[in-house]
Amino acid sequence: MSPISFEQLVVGYEFPSTSYQLSESVISKYLEAVGGQQHFLTSGIVPPLAIAAYAMTALSQSFSVPPGSIHASQELEFLKLVPIGTTISCGGKIAQKVQRGKLQLVVLEINALNQDKEKVLSGKATIVVPS
Amino acid sequence: MTQELKLSDIHQGDSLPSVVKHITQREINLYAEASGDFNPIHIDESFAAQTPLGGTIAHGMLILAYVSEVMTQAFGKSWLSGGKLSVRFKAPARPKDTITTSGKIDSIEYKEGVPYVNCSLESRNQKGETVITGGAVVKL
Repeated sequence: MSPISFEQLVVGYEFPSTSYQLSESVISKYLEAVGGQQHFLTSGIVPPLAIAAYAMTALSQSFSVPPGSIHASQELEFLKLVPIGTTISCGGKIAQKVQRGKLQLVVLEINALNQDKEKVLSGKATIVVPS
Repeated sequence: MTQELKLSDIHQGDSLPSVVKHITQREINLYAEASGDFNPIHIDESFAAQTPLGGTIAHGMLILAYVSEVMTQAFGKSWLSGGKLSVRFKAPARPKDTITTSGKIDSIEYKEGVPYVNCSLESRNQKGETVITGGAVVKL
């Protein structure tokens, strides 16, 4: 699916859900990137920030992020342990889009569900976009 | 996982064990591959050099992973299931930066008899500039 334009994003717009299988190789790659925390592999639990990263990527790939945009803030809540091997579905919506002078503030709500449709993570990201 | 803190170990004002990471372009590229976030501001050095940032920057979510590492070290599974985080990205982290992430216990609250630990967290670069600041809550 081609990304929609930033202008097309309106409050309430729901992003299409994207699935990721969080296999051991996927998590190993993530852990190498963040520099360690190998205990996640031995405990068989997915690092919650890996889930957040996929949730954010799923949303950011759904629309064209204007150049100069800044990820200004992030809220996250980890609701449930996710075993390695779980397939998660990431989605979200536009919660807020407001003009502040020469900048636009966009608040994205994000969430991730496990294969039993239980919410494992939720959060909000604020993106500042030059207008 | 390291030794998790128990309620009896925790006191207001205590520091959490810090996490120190040296950022390189290699780590940023690895993170782009792992997360699927290939925004050129992170990975394309010639593109990034032409922007107001003057060079590539690390993904904010990479630095946020270090914040979560501090909380995981301290609180283990209580953090991984039941943790809440709220941060602001104050400045970009760049290749060759050394990022120190630290935390402190601000208070312990009881809600319906259940203890909640409120922590303040920050990541600073080697110049002492704040990269991330915020707070977290964990239910014990």
